[in-house]
Amino acid sequence: MSSSIELRGIEVDAILRGISLRIEAGESVAFVGRSGAGKTTSLRLINGLVKPTRGEVLIDDVPLARTDLVALRRRSGYIIQGSGLFPHRTVYDNVATVPRLLGWDEARIKSAAHEVMSRIAMPLERFGARYPRSLSGGEQQRVGIARAMVANPSMLLCDEPFGALDPIVRRELQETFRELRSDATIVFVTHDLVEAMRVAQRVVLFDDGRIVSDTPSVDFPKQQLPLVRQFVAAASLPS
Amino acid sequence: MKRFLALALLLAACSQKRPIVVGSKNFTESVILGEMVAQKLESAGCTVDRRLNMGGTFVCDSAMTSGALDTYVEYSGTALEAILKQPKADVAAAYAKRGLHWGPPLGFNNTFAMIVRRDDAQRIPLQSISDLGKVAAQFRPGFGYEFVERPDGWNGLLAAYGITFATPPKTMDLGLTYKALASNEVDLIAGNSTDGLIESLGLIALADDRHYFPRYDAAVVYRDDIDKKCKGASKALESLRGKLDDAAMRRLNFEVDGKKRDVAVVAHDALGR
Amino acid sequence: MTAEILRVTGEHMLIVAIAVGVAIVIGIPLGIYCTRNPRAGRVALRVIDAIQTIPSLALFGFLIPVPFIGGIGMRTAIVALILYSLLPIVRNTFVGIRGVDPVVRDAGVALGLTTRQLLFDVELPLAMPSIVAGIRIATVIGIGVATIAAAVGGGGLGTFIFRGVAMVDTRLILAGALPAAALALIADVVLSAVERKMIKG
Repeated sequence: MSSSIELRGIEVDAILRGISLRIEAGESVAFVGRSGAGKTTSLRLINGLVKPTRGEVLIDDVPLARTDLVALRRRSGYIIQGSGLFPHRTVYDNVATVPRLLGWDEARIKSAAHEVMSRIAMPLERFGARYPRSLSGGEQQRVGIARAMVANPSMLLCDEPFGALDPIVRRELQETFRELRSDATIVFVTHDLVEAMRVAQRVVLFDDGRIVSDTPSVDFPKQQLPLVRQFVAAASLPS
Repeated sequence: MKRFLALALLLAACSQKRPIVVGSKNFTESVILGEMVAQKLESAGCTVDRRLNMGGTFVCDSAMTSGALDTYVEYSGTALEAILKQPKADVAAAYAKRGLHWGPPLGFNNTFAMIVRRDDAQRIPLQSISDLGKVAAQFRPGFGYEFVERPDGWNGLLAAYGITFATPPKTMDLGLTYKALASNEVDLIAGNSTDGLIESLGLIALADDRHYFPRYDAAVVYRDDIDKKCKGASKALESLRGKLDDAAMRRLNFEVDGKKRDVAVVAHDALGR
Repeated sequence: MTAEILRVTGEHMLIVAIAVGVAIVIGIPLGIYCTRNPRAGRVALRVIDAIQTIPSLALFGFLIPVPFIGGIGMRTAIVALILYSLLPIVRNTFVGIRGVDPVVRDAGVALGLTTRQLLFDVELPLAMPSIVAGIRIATVIGIGVATIAAAVGGGGLGTFIFRGVAMVDTRLILAGALPAAALALIADVVLSAVERKMIKG
């Protein structure tokens, strides 16, 4: 079960200057651009962490303004840089957060956690009782992914989730993420073009608060836009 | 002309007497008397350093023996019972042995007064300290720190009258005890018979029917070497003999406590009279 | 005299316990409020800061003529102590909650925790070491300030100290000062241990 996302005529004071975008259910889209271009803000509009000054956001064609935000957030997964794991809770309790909010019984939670933890190669038996501070950065982010995905969200919102990790770990996590094959609708913010093309089928390029390009991933580098040229050069992609 | 001035100033500086330190205890009457002593010394040409409102009996006494204080007004009963701890001694002789002069009596007796509210006194009724036996179970006593500790204070009183109170006394700054009694926080306090506020607050002093309290005749105490600091100091202090009787002292206390007049002004008027 | 020392020690502990207890009940919600309403919060913190600058004896003295909460006795002492205990507790609650990693808070909101759940399941547990530190400071200071209670008839260990000063009797002063110091030390050690146990992650 996945959701469609639409941004219609969005303006956010001083950051976004007219964004319109439609993402179909099940698509995986990367938002790329330079720092401050508005990609994170656009992401955070989707689950209501940011409110537009003009325009509207629609999930499954229902305006966000008429939706229970808390319920929506419990149906989506959110992965951020630095993982944001609750430091005072065990790995298991972190992963169990959303299922518990949804009222699942403990047996069901246990089995779902078991499943998702094995998919990120961190078996529950070994890691469940540990605290986030005893894990490496990469391990913490894996748990972050597990926490976001355990309750089968209809959307996965990822805000530069692998940004703070070293290149090798980053690569591993990109692979893990791809292999998870979630059927949720995925929106993935990154400034790393290579990463964007690896995890998403579609790339949306933001610049200075506007969308300047929106293409399937493979077609992205072929564009003649100067900004695209710059990105490609910086990412050392063969032209 | 300029040289004349310089010389005059020099002479004045040379004959500058060292200041006489005048102390007092920390209740109104003592402060008024201390101020009177200070003004008397000043009118005799001495320089005075005032340390009024200093502390209780023992603070003043230790300051006297150590030389930090040169003079203050003490009471005979207090000197005998609390300081010397020799109730039957000759107070002047005993003080002379300590290098202190027990000087001229001011003319009034300020004994401890056990004070209650007037309506309690009428209701129970209470007229003398012995009558307190009737209310020893319910009455809440409240005193300053000295009365509770001194041998001629609370415990001595209970022993002399054979009474036991159910509630231990609340202790507080002496000045607050009248307020505490008037606002019903306590039922019995130890005031002074010359206090100005007794009548005005609707309070009444109980008669000391067993004559437990000795006389507390007020007298100026000064160090034997006081004239070394200022010639004529002791003569000035001797002139305070018999200056005030009980009624006069009560009036002065009321001027300050009741009418809120300035202590220095009240003292000045008293000396002038 | 031992019986009396024990009695006033009990009075002393009672005064501090009630005062710090009430300060906790008022102070923690107030601290939380300050984090939610920055402008009102700044005003509140400034007022509480100002209270702290009033010399303790003066504060006790100010309260004497106030109706209901003032007067001469334990109640005045407790009210003054509550006012003194507010600053460490309110400020430490405020700082503790503000100090929660914004990424963690963001994650909490994004996962679908309600404001109430965020407060009780994330912010308060993470702010606990700071809050307990505030309580510890309030208690230790309170034990010292409570000695002034005796000046206004409030009882407590100050009774011996004031009596000792009046009589120039070191023994009496120590009879009050030593137990007070011991109480403060015990409180500090115990609450530090609690504080340490609260630190998780």
